[in-house]
Amino acid sequence: MTRALALCLTLVSVGSCKKSDEGGGAKPGEKPAEKTIQVGLVTDVGGRGDESFNDAALRGLELWAAGSKLVDGKYVPAEKRDLEASIPADLASMVTRLPVKPMVLQSKAQEDYQPNLQLLVDKGCDLTVGVGFMLENAVEAAAKEYPKARFLLIDSPILDANGNPQSLPNVRTMVFREHEGSFLVGALAGLLAKEKVGFVGGMEIPLIKKFEAGFRAGVKTTNPKAEVLVSYTGSFDKVAAGKQVGQDFMAKGVEIVFQAAGSDGLGVIQAVKEARAAGKNVYAIGVDSDQYRVAPDVILTSMVKRVDLAVYFAAKDLVNGNFIAADGDLGLKENGVAYAPIRLAVPGKDAAVAKVEALRKLIVDGKLRVPANLGDLEAFTPPAL
Amino acid sequence: MLQLVDALLSSTLDAAPALVFAALGAVLSERAGVVNVGVEGMMRAGAFVAAVAALVMPTPLGVVLGMLAGAALAALHAWLCIRFRADQVVSGMAINLVMLALGTFLLEARFSPNGTPSIEQLTRWGSGVPVLGGHTALTWLALAAPFALHAVIQRTRFGLRLRAAGEKPQAVAAMGVSVSRLRFVAVTCGGLLAGLGGASLSVATLDRFEHNMPAGLGFMAVAAMVFGRWTPLGAAAAAAFFAFGNALRIGLTSSAPQVLEVIPQGVLLALPYLLTLLLLAGQKRGAGKAPAALGTPYDPELR
Repeated sequence: MTRALALCLTLVSVGSCKKSDEGGGAKPGEKPAEKTIQVGLVTDVGGRGDESFNDAALRGLELWAAGSKLVDGKYVPAEKRDLEASIPADLASMVTRLPVKPMVLQSKAQEDYQPNLQLLVDKGCDLTVGVGFMLENAVEAAAKEYPKARFLLIDSPILDANGNPQSLPNVRTMVFREHEGSFLVGALAGLLAKEKVGFVGGMEIPLIKKFEAGFRAGVKTTNPKAEVLVSYTGSFDKVAAGKQVGQDFMAKGVEIVFQAAGSDGLGVIQAVKEARAAGKNVYAIGVDSDQYRVAPDVILTSMVKRVDLAVYFAAKDLVNGNFIAADGDLGLKENGVAYAPIRLAVPGKDAAVAKVEALRKLIVDGKLRVPANLGDLEAFTPPAL
Repeated sequence: MLQLVDALLSSTLDAAPALVFAALGAVLSERAGVVNVGVEGMMRAGAFVAAVAALVMPTPLGVVLGMLAGAALAALHAWLCIRFRADQVVSGMAINLVMLALGTFLLEARFSPNGTPSIEQLTRWGSGVPVLGGHTALTWLALAAPFALHAVIQRTRFGLRLRAAGEKPQAVAAMGVSVSRLRFVAVTCGGLLAGLGGASLSVATLDRFEHNMPAGLGFMAVAAMVFGRWTPLGAAAAAAFFAFGNALRIGLTSSAPQVLEVIPQGVLLALPYLLTLLLLAGQKRGAGKAPAALGTPYDPELR
């Protein structure tokens, strides 16, 4: 009985995967005009429309690489205007259309990851992208099962049983040097704030410590006297806890707060928003994607991770025949992390941006190494401005 | 210094309502003899419905609809537990699971997976007044509600019967009062309060429904109820204590990070749960224990 049920469920899940295949795949009998390369992508449970990680990955593949957008389950060519508007100015010269055909499967549950990856490989995808560290196990399993297929894993290396990074011959992994982007928003905060800035992290894990180390190094560089308040909420899903941290910071006179705390971060932003409504001159800095829409009057900038670019680069390398399975990272130099445009008219903005840009150049040229953990932060000597 | 105390209390008053209302809802239900671990799911329903309703109508009206959503779920819980004598814990957990999935599903189908668009928050009154100012009406309601519920439970005929239904339902039946109806009313009103707690998350704490809400606050409310020995005043005090403890921990660790070298953050985060466990372990027979008939479906054949 249980076995029959399990079989049924498997069949159903495979069937539903096929249904959710969105307009990809060559129709039988249709002759490809030129050699198009199929690139598959599996989202994590956040899925299409999360305005963050998954949407960025989809943008890199569907819009930038294939120049198409999804309308009613079918791909149609995207309008030039949309395409141009979606590419940040600093990347405009890098992004050109590629002869690729996207094939996207959304994951509704963690159990979908591996079947989705396998389905895309079976459908003949030359490259299959797994979006987010949650797909690490699934990509590892699929890559071992299909040694001839190629994979891209975003935001995590492949880990062995002991949690140490390992390399697989057919998987490219791409992580981000978040500390470099955090350094720049820290420098900006230091320039615009007088005495106090704050950092709110979610869980106290090495990934989030990277943000903290970079941010504090940035503040130390531009405003060594400024006090940096640091707090970890211990979670990524508790808005109320984040808000209490934000309120604490506001009460202690923090002028600009940078949050890397998932949903808790929304609570932090809310606290800043309420403090601003009550007449305080305070700002928040967003994370991962450009969060200005969350609170347009308090989001100074955001520390953006360019997941779209990581996906686009992989597709481009594949088209050009130089896809290498390797563990890579993207930082300021590769435009893989950046700070979002500053839309608010803050006093002293132009001078501050000029200084931040100078720092960015130092890092890009390799003249400045940003600390990636708190140990390195101790030893960090700020460059002369 | 005074300013910091002000901030601490103000933050407590801002965070506490969700927990206070939910804990009161749990008290109401359990004093009538029906276990309610479905508070989490009822809060989620309240938060979601209030935010979605507030997109198209004034926010206070959205809050009312959120309360009704919580009450509807509670009515389902009561129906299963009273009419069909279902296991009360299982029914409550089922409500939590269904709401977790249903909330996510509706959110994705109608809005984005992250949350609803932002809505008009409830108005904040009297900003500038220390401690009590700058909060929504829900904060003040949360200050008054425990006393009101205490009066209802301890001082009215309905309250007496309600307590009796939780302690010795046969006595209530012998008086010619319907145990089923009493319990049904109590559980449903409890859901109304849990829905209000959830709504206060999405219209006062934040200005939208966020996909993780209420992120365990419902279980925290059940812990507050146990900590408060199933009394409205005790449960509300415990809820306020949890919110205050959080604010204190945050304030202390951001001002003096050295504290964390002595006591790890994880221990501090687990403190409310540890305290509740300790209290349960040390519970004596006699005053302040759980209602005697809690969790047992009423059987008129039994004496």
